[in-house]
Amino acid sequence: MISNKKECVVMLLAGGQGSRLGSLTTKIAKPSVPFGGKYRIIDFTLSNCVNSNLDTVGVLTQYQPLILNSYIGDGKPWDLDRLYGGINILPPYQRVGDSTWYSGTADAIYQNINFIDQYDPEYVLVLSGDHIYKMDYSLMINYHKEKKADCTISVIDVTYEEASRFGILSSNQDGLITEFEEKPIYPRSTLASMGIYVFNWSKLKEYLELDSIDYQSSKDFGKNVIPRMLNSGEKLYSYEFKGYWKDVGTIDSLWQANMDLLGDNKFDLNGDWVIYSRHMEKPPHFIGSNASVKNSIISEGAVILGTVENSIIFSGVKIGENAVVKDSVVMADVNIEENAVINYSIIDELCYISENKKVGYEKENNENITVLPRESKLI
Amino acid sequence: MNTLGIIFSDMQDWNLNELASHRSVAAIPFGGRYRLVDFTLSNMVNSNISKMCIITKTNYRSLMEHVGTGKDWDMSRKKGGILIFPPYATEENNGLFKGRLDALKRVLGYILESKEKYVVLSDCDMIYNIDYKNVINYHKEQNADITAVYTKINIDKSNSVHKILYNFSPDGRAEDVLVYPVTSGENNVGLNTWVLNKDFLVNLIYDAIARNLKDFNYDVLSKKVKSIKIYGYEYKGYYAHIDSLKSYYDHSMELLCMNKLNSIFYAQTGPIYTKTKDSAPTKYGENAKVTSSLIASGCEIEGTVENSIIFRGVKIGKGTVIKNSIIMQKTIIGDYAKLDSIVTDTYTHIKSERVLLGHKNCPFFIKKNSII
Repeated sequence: MISNKKECVVMLLAGGQGSRLGSLTTKIAKPSVPFGGKYRIIDFTLSNCVNSNLDTVGVLTQYQPLILNSYIGDGKPWDLDRLYGGINILPPYQRVGDSTWYSGTADAIYQNINFIDQYDPEYVLVLSGDHIYKMDYSLMINYHKEKKADCTISVIDVTYEEASRFGILSSNQDGLITEFEEKPIYPRSTLASMGIYVFNWSKLKEYLELDSIDYQSSKDFGKNVIPRMLNSGEKLYSYEFKGYWKDVGTIDSLWQANMDLLGDNKFDLNGDWVIYSRHMEKPPHFIGSNASVKNSIISEGAVILGTVENSIIFSGVKIGENAVVKDSVVMADVNIEENAVINYSIIDELCYISENKKVGYEKENNENITVLPRESKLI
Repeated sequence: MNTLGIIFSDMQDWNLNELASHRSVAAIPFGGRYRLVDFTLSNMVNSNISKMCIITKTNYRSLMEHVGTGKDWDMSRKKGGILIFPPYATEENNGLFKGRLDALKRVLGYILESKEKYVVLSDCDMIYNIDYKNVINYHKEQNADITAVYTKINIDKSNSVHKILYNFSPDGRAEDVLVYPVTSGENNVGLNTWVLNKDFLVNLIYDAIARNLKDFNYDVLSKKVKSIKIYGYEYKGYYAHIDSLKSYYDHSMELLCMNKLNSIFYAQTGPIYTKTKDSAPTKYGENAKVTSSLIASGCEIEGTVENSIIFRGVKIGKGTVIKNSIIMQKTIIGDYAKLDSIVTDTYTHIKSERVLLGHKNCPFFIKKNSII
């Protein structure tokens, strides 16, 4: 099985519910939430893998996997339909003796040790499928090799207020991690873990096995595996990432990340680092004779007859004459009839908004973002 | 569906000098993100034809790049799929083919090896949505040797010379076939699409070899109209024949009418497939002003666009005004430029403050890769 050998296998955690996204994730897993006009959140991680020359990816699914599974399919859109490796969807499975759901991030990897062993890798890259960023993982793996580390954790500098949402770590000048706290109330630094880990596979396997027999453990990388490795004196390094990175775990951050695509290019979807996605065949979008589109992103197959400002319009969206869409994210195949007004909202896929209806409050009013769940009909 | 599709990429390229000077007619960009061949290919795919080939003539690189393995048309198959024939010479056939029949002679082996019962022959210089299943059913019902697809349209002397006209008897059998006549008025205009039984086609080719015949239109349709059963299938939907820069421009502009746009791209026969490019959605700036236009993905628009078709990956600077124009992919237009009735080919660069004016009746064409 020499041809099966891979230097690095990617394990992508995509089983989380993302309960803070509310009605957006009642029917679909967080990684398959639509983003940026034509993408789903997982496209960013998958495209980063391919662009970093990593071609063996296991996607760990558990919560509402239907849309995610059919979206990923054979991995063709990301060029991950390969003879050896490619993309593999890994749901929890039954075996002789015990069968359990994935009880934590570490457990999900533990249950798939056999999958990883098939490829006999030196390294395993663990990713989460719910972040928006462009990152070359191969640079991080090189750094990991240079430092002869057992584990390298990618970190980003966040604001002090945000810090308690993340795993926070401290490291010395060389990058050697000295302290790690998962979601601390009083953070001691602002270096946040991005949930991206490179492990030496032999080392990780050892710790996963240790963790699996620890009945007190919640089987989580941040809470259990990383602290245990640190306490046992393994060499953990931090790798600082300087680019744009957004955790889109909340309605507000999801809205904001969409808005970051507009205007002065906080995050640019164009460029050589292509983000791939699976999309339906649609003609170019059509802008009507009385339409007005400003500071917005419009995707294929949309028909805009009304006014669109500061918004992200997905493919196949129809916006009728004199309808106004402002400061909003309108997902695929939504139909907005004449004279309807949408303000500061996220409209999920396949919604229908009939004539003269109003959705949301003007952004200036400081109300919350309005979310219309999938397939809602406002008649 | 037991049918083999044979597509001719360049049967009639004499009048498309500008657009087809460095690419085959099949690869002419159209409608913001498509190439002409997409319409014929998609018609075949949507009619459940799962084996097809494209016979090319010259400059087929961009066509081959576009079609690739046929993956984007769902034609990358173990059984059937798509095959591109670049021109190749054999002992008895030297040089480029001299006509449709001559071209078919050269792929005789492929046709003989195919197990399909019927063959659809089609050019790809036209935009229309047809379900070949209906044509084949009609062909079977009539027990025809050849079924020609036609539509009734008004023509004039300037464009009749690019067309084949059919006269039918009341029972639908062709009595007379005129090839490239000078005439005008409402006529049964052939869509250069024919259905034949494969065995019949093979015999036609054998006969052509024996008698050194090369031209399908004259040597078969016109001369044999009395001896073989040619029937006509009337197509009644939207049809556009791209036979000159002017007709390219006019038919492109028709897409800005919602009805026509819908009848082409949201037809019952199915979607039009094309090569996916993974470009990001189009981004509109703070001062963008866009009306009555068709805009593909991957563009960045800061200026004003009116009544125009913008292909993928076009950049339009601030203060620039574009009217009644077709801007092909990867064109970059600077700030404060003015364009009216212009067709830019791919990868052109129009620098800031340039003023380019054509007229709707005579659009001005800018060659690929030019810098203005």
